[in-house]
Amino acid sequence: MNTHPPRSPSLDTLTLSRRRLGQWGLGSLAIAGLLPGMVRAAGKGVAVLGIDNDPPTLNLGTSTDFTAGDVSAKILEGLIWLDPEYNPRPSLATAWRISPDGKTYTFTLRKGVKWHDGKDFTSADVKFTLLEVLAKLHPRAAPVFKNLGVEVDTPDAGTVVVRLQKPYAPFLSQMTVFDAPMLPRHVYEGSNVGTNPANQKPIGTGPFKFAEWKRGASIRLVRNDSYWDAEKPYLQELIFQIIPQATNRVPALQTGEIDELLDFYTPKPEIPRLLADKSLAPRRGVNIPALWFLMFNINSPVFSKKEARHALAFAIDRERIVKQVMQGIARPGAGAFGDGFKWLLNQEVGYATKYPFDPARAKALLAKAGIKSNTVTLRMPFDLNRPQMRAQSQIIQENLRNVGLEVKLEPLERSVLIDRVAVKREFDMTLASFYSAGDPAIGYTRLYATNTGTAANTNSSGYSNPKVDELLASAATAADRNARAKSYKELQVILNEDLPSLILFDEETVDTASKKLSGVFPGLDARDQWAGVRRAN
Amino acid sequence: MLQFILRRLLHAVPLLLAVVVLNFLLIALTPGDPITLLVGDFPAPPEYLEKMRSEYGLDQPIWVQLGHYLAKIAQGDFGYSFNAQQPVAPLILNRVGATLTLTVTALVMASLGGIVFGVLAARWRGGAVDSTIQTVASAGYSIPDFWLGQLLILVFAIGLGWLPSQGNQPIRGLPDGFWASTLEQLRYLILPAFALSLRYLTLITRITRAAMLEVMHADFILASRARGASEWTVVMVHALRNAAAPVITVIGYNVGFILAGSALIEAVFAWPGIGRLLFESISKRDYPVMLAILLMVSATVVVANLVTDIVHRLIDPRIERQ
Repeated sequence: MNTHPPRSPSLDTLTLSRRRLGQWGLGSLAIAGLLPGMVRAAGKGVAVLGIDNDPPTLNLGTSTDFTAGDVSAKILEGLIWLDPEYNPRPSLATAWRISPDGKTYTFTLRKGVKWHDGKDFTSADVKFTLLEVLAKLHPRAAPVFKNLGVEVDTPDAGTVVVRLQKPYAPFLSQMTVFDAPMLPRHVYEGSNVGTNPANQKPIGTGPFKFAEWKRGASIRLVRNDSYWDAEKPYLQELIFQIIPQATNRVPALQTGEIDELLDFYTPKPEIPRLLADKSLAPRRGVNIPALWFLMFNINSPVFSKKEARHALAFAIDRERIVKQVMQGIARPGAGAFGDGFKWLLNQEVGYATKYPFDPARAKALLAKAGIKSNTVTLRMPFDLNRPQMRAQSQIIQENLRNVGLEVKLEPLERSVLIDRVAVKREFDMTLASFYSAGDPAIGYTRLYATNTGTAANTNSSGYSNPKVDELLASAATAADRNARAKSYKELQVILNEDLPSLILFDEETVDTASKKLSGVFPGLDARDQWAGVRRAN
Repeated sequence: MLQFILRRLLHAVPLLLAVVVLNFLLIALTPGDPITLLVGDFPAPPEYLEKMRSEYGLDQPIWVQLGHYLAKIAQGDFGYSFNAQQPVAPLILNRVGATLTLTVTALVMASLGGIVFGVLAARWRGGAVDSTIQTVASAGYSIPDFWLGQLLILVFAIGLGWLPSQGNQPIRGLPDGFWASTLEQLRYLILPAFALSLRYLTLITRITRAAMLEVMHADFILASRARGASEWTVVMVHALRNAAAPVITVIGYNVGFILAGSALIEAVFAWPGIGRLLFESISKRDYPVMLAILLMVSATVVVANLVTDIVHRLIDPRIERQ
């Protein structure tokens, strides 16, 4: 299967006109006679973007922290970026070729790209990043790379050949800045990548250069005047303003203190206000799928019984959670993988038909499982810093009280929660959310694959099914989307029945920018592609 | 006097040591692993966790960690923040300025305001001024400062739009010119400083009033009135000076509280100071930063108490004689 990158839009629209000829004439005059610096367009304006806190690092090669990604994605770049239809678009790679067996990826790198410190970007940087950083330290990439046995060759400075031991469908879409940010070898080689000072003042190839970090206040980036896309970026500066109090962020956007606020930082109850504000341009309906779910501990006395898990699927009012907790901006759980990826959805075994809201059936199932009314108390720990989880937990508590089950809500600090759920597994059920990162194989496999370790953010339910593991592997490695869909559909038959986790809803996001900004959010990920953003005065 | 100061400083050493050891143990015995908070929302590779854990010495037994920590502190090294990934000392030093601006302003506002209102209330004891000040003081003392902060933001920043809601200076840069830029910075300071100071202002008001009333019955007040001094001279010169001792004690002993109280106010107003650093370091389990700030606050309390005692001795020589 060969994939060609789509042609650059500027080439598609390039038609000769007298005006353009005139511009070219002026351009060549400038090149011939004036200082080279004067040919380049200068950036204009400062955009201020709201964030929640100081990111732990600006080295995206070692973290999947959202805020770190928000800031770093303007400084660093991946080989590709994804448009809202999941199509890969050229970034540091201008073209790529995938061998018919899906095991060899050949990337042609963009020519003339320089790091912010002036050194040339070459295939050696790509190889170093892939093997020495991502394969060892990146939370999403490391396990995948290990499993795939990634090898990298660099036949010349402008070509990278990646060889996998087995095909992996989402490999190309994982080459974005968020999963595979290219890092400068000359800065990191021979050092401890986790604690290298460059993690605090990154050197990338992106449209903006790191300038200043006032901890607790702001992070300032300035225009990279030597950016490979000569006219861009249009802005002179990007400032990230840290607003730790969630309730202060929306007012800051409405009063014009900041120009943009992503869904991640926006308190859900404020969203209707944002949508109604005429000075703002929200983007709704384009987002990388993410699931919110209730994970059962299937080794606990109650949830070791499948009927009890089924009973909860009937007892919990998912529509109400969406309406009350998410202000209607979400979709009730459709099945084991949600409905964010339409191509894999198996409607026949979906929750809508299998588990409609029906407390009476829940009661009957509990009775069948031998669980007497008002005799058990279920421990439900969750992250106390996530207000939506508190609200969900209260609805769940009420729903379950109606079928004779008591729930003890245990809001815990995040590190304590991880210790309780992932390490000690002392819980009956817990609330969590997983982000797909653009492909179910990247983000959702961890929800169902057998896990005997103590890592956080993975399957801590104790559920282990060899058939599921096998299907997850084949869904990830089949090169053809139809073959992948077949595996995922079969998985939904098993998982919607076994129900190690009950999907509560599929996230929908509202990313908001001031109308003063134009050209925002061209990518699938709202944090990506800021070179083309302009700001009106 | 010198002997007194040296003795007090010597007493402070075991106190600060106890603060460090107790805080260290409390933090170390709390469940949870700070490294898991560093990596984001995907399961981190075990290699990375191990690498970071050994990098920060978290794989060592707790007594070894404590020993290392004490040895380092003795050399003036406060360790390395694993959340900010940089040494703790510059991290704190960079934010001391913002916190000092906020706390000193609040302290000055509370002291001056408290003394003025206390004197006014005492001067017109039982009158309308007194009862108004007393009522407001009682209310002010019972309002939680972080709640007051939110309320001030709602009214003055969001509702009326007069003052900024967060930060300590405009994000797009300060205006040119000394006065314009100072004025702009003052606009950012008003709300958080007021929210932080109100509680102490009302406390000082009440103490000043009580101390003044006690002094006003003394014989020397009667004597100065008999000499024909004006009422204001009696109040400001004779009474206030003699009532100052308890007021100064209260101000001095509250320095530590104001410093600690700034954590919440800084969080509410996104003020980039040490208080918020403490707040964040707690939620991120950034032990070295937490310990260093707690130690700093304790040291400040010790010094503030010492200074208060010295001032006390200077204005009231009777204490020295006892």
